[in-house]
Amino acid sequence: MSRTSRSFRTAAAATIAALGMLATACGGDGGSTDSKSDGKPVTINYWTWTLGAKSTVEAFNRTHQDIQVKFTEIPSSTEGYSKLSNAVKAGNAPDVATIEYQMVPEFAGQGNLIDLTKYAGETVKSKFPATIQSLVTFGGKTWTVPYDVAPQLYYYRTDLFKKYGIEVPKTWDEFKTAAATVKKKDKNVRLASMPKSDPALLAALSWQAGGKWFATEGDAWKPGVNDTPSKKVATYWDGLIKDDLVQSFTAYSPEETKARTSGKTLSFLGASWSAGGMKTAMPDLKGKWAAAPMPNWGTAASGNYGGTSYGVLKGSKHAEAAAEFIKWLTTNKAGVEARLADLESPSSALPANPEMREVAAAKFDTSYLNGQDLYELASAQVDTIVPGWTWGPNQMDVYTAVQDATAKSGFAAGVDTGQQKAEAGITERGLKLAK
Amino acid sequence: MAAPVAPAVKARRHPPTKPPGTSKLRRSQRRAATLLITPFFVLFAAVMAAPIGYAVWMSLFQEHSSGLGFGGTERVFSGFGNYTKALSDTGFRDSFVHIALYCALYIPVMIGGSLLLALLVDSAMARAKRFFQLALFLPHAIPGLIASVIWIYLYTPGLSPVLDWIGALGGSWNFYSNDHVLSSMVNLCAWQWIGYNMVIFYAALQAVPREMIEAAVVDGAGAIRTALQIKVPLIASAVVMTVLFTCVGAIQIFTEPKLLNQRGAPSIDTEWSPTLFIWKAGFVQHDYGLAAAASLLLALLGVLLSYIVTRLGNRWKAAS
Repeated sequence: MSRTSRSFRTAAAATIAALGMLATACGGDGGSTDSKSDGKPVTINYWTWTLGAKSTVEAFNRTHQDIQVKFTEIPSSTEGYSKLSNAVKAGNAPDVATIEYQMVPEFAGQGNLIDLTKYAGETVKSKFPATIQSLVTFGGKTWTVPYDVAPQLYYYRTDLFKKYGIEVPKTWDEFKTAAATVKKKDKNVRLASMPKSDPALLAALSWQAGGKWFATEGDAWKPGVNDTPSKKVATYWDGLIKDDLVQSFTAYSPEETKARTSGKTLSFLGASWSAGGMKTAMPDLKGKWAAAPMPNWGTAASGNYGGTSYGVLKGSKHAEAAAEFIKWLTTNKAGVEARLADLESPSSALPANPEMREVAAAKFDTSYLNGQDLYELASAQVDTIVPGWTWGPNQMDVYTAVQDATAKSGFAAGVDTGQQKAEAGITERGLKLAK
Repeated sequence: MAAPVAPAVKARRHPPTKPPGTSKLRRSQRRAATLLITPFFVLFAAVMAAPIGYAVWMSLFQEHSSGLGFGGTERVFSGFGNYTKALSDTGFRDSFVHIALYCALYIPVMIGGSLLLALLVDSAMARAKRFFQLALFLPHAIPGLIASVIWIYLYTPGLSPVLDWIGALGGSWNFYSNDHVLSSMVNLCAWQWIGYNMVIFYAALQAVPREMIEAAVVDGAGAIRTALQIKVPLIASAVVMTVLFTCVGAIQIFTEPKLLNQRGAPSIDTEWSPTLFIWKAGFVQHDYGLAAAASLLLALLGVLLSYIVTRLGNRWKAAS
């Protein structure tokens, strides 16, 4: 379920070394303000799995005297969040970490994040679109600072689409027809693969269709994991899988990549950030891929598939310095440029801040996608993201429930089970459930 | 270990007929014993008793929030709340059913397989005994995680050469399907453990008095009859011990189902085994109270199971 290419855990030794650095670097009186007066720079720890992190941190350290950042790579998805929340419990959490939008309410609710209103509230309010602000602001407090927005995109093989004589589908009806055509022409090849193991993709598709897995009503949560649009999406994919019109590989697995590189899967459902990983995962297919808007249900619409923000973890003694670094990462030209300049793993994430979007677009290497202006396409999709979506206070638990039930009995059963889990989890934690 | 040596040395100097010497000796013996046993108790307290105590303490609390949940969390005493929560969770209860089914298939295959191999290697006709012992033990030397990764590679369609061969012969097989996934998992675990248990059985067989086997042969028992009626009953205690360890190991199974789950085996869900449930409660839901309560319930089952197996084993040994 990693949002970008799979990253493996770095040696625990690095973590320990990083913690050692923290201990030697602060030497202050333990207050929450930064002790710059003694002339020594403040060292903050930064844990992430995002592409381009190394070059970003190097650029920051080069240009900053009073704050130095120590970067540690951690796994993405469940494993990474476990690592973070355990570190908070153990009192050795990093100062800054990447928190995906889908995890912000859960992480904030469990007391793992420091309220950033004081340090970055103004920045979030003035520099980010309202749809993105609502993903990081809860209970009147700003919990994290957004980095990217992740409109869904449809990636397809230009050469093979020509070979099988199919057009890029614009609607889900056309997508189904195209899938049938491909199967008819070659029984070993399919138009796309719909993983049962990536509930985040199902969520994004539900979002696109107008579903709202969670909403708040006053001080109560209102889950709608199996609302009408989400059910429609689930039934649609159950149908395609039942008719064997799409494959269903495990998401982000070697077999999924192999099917793509060997031409057995012609397209995939991704997002703005997908392009960054394609270059490293499928180097031989350079120039053979193109991106298009996601097929829709009749009117142009997009969901947000992934997307990251930055938070300061509880226990940090350098919240102010950490917020400074975060602001640089998300709204400073140099920060965005450095992230895209990483030679080994450049990011293709689309900054949520409109000014930074232009900076990133100018810096992005378009040669893999045959010169296509990915950023222009993705930016246009941002305007079609359906407003009003909220992530839940027990999102991970809902995800695993959806995933377990989907694996056993399909997507429709998945969203039903997800809804039950959402309601049960909210009540169990003492939160208020809307009637 | 060293404690009995000390009196032996002293005894040579002071003949045991002198009573004052004995009391002096006892004191120094006690001192040595205390000194030698202390490290064990320190470690036992630090890495066993204290964590268990902490788990018991944690299992009595729940974290609560209110409203939308952004006003922070509050730790409240809940008594046995976490225990009832675990026991009323269908996922947790089902995980024990899964393990029972798994044991029903795994234990006969694994114990039967090891016993058969040990008897074969021990039989008069076997050649190259050292080689087979080593070759059969080798899979156990591979860490469980690596073994799982290797087998999962062999199980995965599109990557597995085995599946390609089956396909080339016109057959088809899905290692991950609901009907086959349990046997796939048993195969993986048995591969790792058969050799290990074979070595234990083989060692036990070496202790069987040769004259007893000779007597059986003289009485006209064939190789198979000797194996089943003389050798097997004589190594019964080794078999009971192995079954005990296997049961205790089986209820803690984690790596194999976790990896099969990640590779998308549909019937292996994220709470398939009790340890997976605990892992999920602790590290996905961050519900440490529930995780602690479930862990203690699992430990309790382990103790209970050990007791039952030992009791049954004793009865079996007495009968044979």
